[in-house]
Amino acid sequence: MNVFALDFPPVSQLFNWPDFLFTDTPVALNKTGLIYIAALLLTAGLFWAAGRRRSLVPTGAQTVAEAGIDFVENSIIMQTIGPDGRRYLPFLTTLFFFVFFSNIFEVVPFIQFPANSRMAIPLALALVVWAIYHVVGIRAQGFYHYFKGALFPPGVPKALYILVAPIELLQILLIRPLSLAIRLWANMVAGHLLLVTFAVLSAALWGTLYVPAVLPFAALILLTAFEIFVSALQAFIFTILTAVYIGGSLHPEH
Amino acid sequence: MSKRLWAAAAVVVAAVALSASAASAAETVGSCILDEIAAAEFEGIEGDGFTAAKNLKTAYEAKVEGAEELKKDFEKDLEGCLEAPNPIIPEVTEIIWGGAAFIVLLALMKWKLFPVVKNLMEQRTQRIQDAIDDADRQRAEAAEVKANYEAELADAKAEAARIVDEAREQAGAVRADLQARAEADIAEMRERAAADVEASKRQAIADLQSEVSDIALGAAEAVLGRSLEDPEMQRQLVDDYIASVGAGQD
Repeated sequence: MNVFALDFPPVSQLFNWPDFLFTDTPVALNKTGLIYIAALLLTAGLFWAAGRRRSLVPTGAQTVAEAGIDFVENSIIMQTIGPDGRRYLPFLTTLFFFVFFSNIFEVVPFIQFPANSRMAIPLALALVVWAIYHVVGIRAQGFYHYFKGALFPPGVPKALYILVAPIELLQILLIRPLSLAIRLWANMVAGHLLLVTFAVLSAALWGTLYVPAVLPFAALILLTAFEIFVSALQAFIFTILTAVYIGGSLHPEH
Repeated sequence: MSKRLWAAAAVVVAAVALSASAASAAETVGSCILDEIAAAEFEGIEGDGFTAAKNLKTAYEAKVEGAEELKKDFEKDLEGCLEAPNPIIPEVTEIIWGGAAFIVLLALMKWKLFPVVKNLMEQRTQRIQDAIDDADRQRAEAAEVKANYEAELADAKAEAARIVDEAREQAGAVRADLQARAEADIAEMRERAAADVEASKRQAIADLQSEVSDIALGAAEAVLGRSLEDPEMQRQLVDDYIASVGAGQD
């Protein structure tokens, strides 16, 4: 089973993990799929543990789950959609934790791979978000008003609509989901490459020169800390942009 | 704590145990080329695997027709081992597993996991809010009780002051009364004493007058050598005399 990060793979295969289960079938499972399953189990386990404790003063898993919900509710939904966005709280909380756990495996020893450095789920989630904000917009404003408001934003001189309308159309149909997906994917790819680069450098120098290996190793430690931050930040950005798009569809006046 | 230690130890043991198989199964460029060569089979070339590759090379060097083409194709296959797959094209299997994981998670969260935690938070918020409201109410009640108590205290103080004033007034009145009565008694006593003195004085004067008359009569009898014939008339004469002397003195 090729899952553990115990050797440096060839550069061309840094993001490619061979299937180890159900090989040559459409449900072939590789390390990336396994990380997504782990993200599912971790998020579900976290909330299950949080719901089981029921203490007045939260500790452990309860603190993390409640802080997560509180963060998504107050720092994301209330800032971008408003009180009527609360019904998207379960979805956005799930999104946040799923993306975060998929990312954080980047720094987990022996795993060391961010599942979102593969385009599969960033793109799939972006498409889900794309579908959601269109459905929300059409439901809230009606098909005609939704697209009219999106393509012909009020306050723009009418002559500019020739230029603005196609750009806006391109944006809501293509640029938004792609930028959402690519931002997450590219950040995780870059982070993984950085960590691999410094890890390889440390290992190579340690095998020959020893003392100078301290420098790239120190950088590796700092970058590991930085990548923990990036993992959380990218989960936050993905979630808040989703909320912004939903908010824009619900309240076009903002 | 010991459970956590056991779990950590299990992870480490599993990692070490899997490391051998993981290393051997790792897809390296070398293993890819080896796989390609082992699976090599060429049309018109004898053998398979390494033999086929070797025979292809021999055929190419002997300039056998078609061998150059086959060699180029085989080289391309081998170079494919060095090529990285396009990183931006998503892998369908990964979409399936990742998508399924997300959908299952979302369903679990919406069904049970999220509402339980959220309800817990809301219950706690409600409980804290209730406690705050309760505390506010109790504080208000305490303030009311305190206000009542203070009002009662103020009333009691005012009552006490009133009673003291009244007592003081009564005492004043009693004192004035007593004083007036004492003064009246004193005046009465003084008057009575004065009357007594006056009576005593008059008595004394009368007694003295009588005594003096007797002495004077005695003296006159001695002087005249005879007694006045009528003692009553004699006494009258002396009294008149003395009265005239007393009147002359007054």
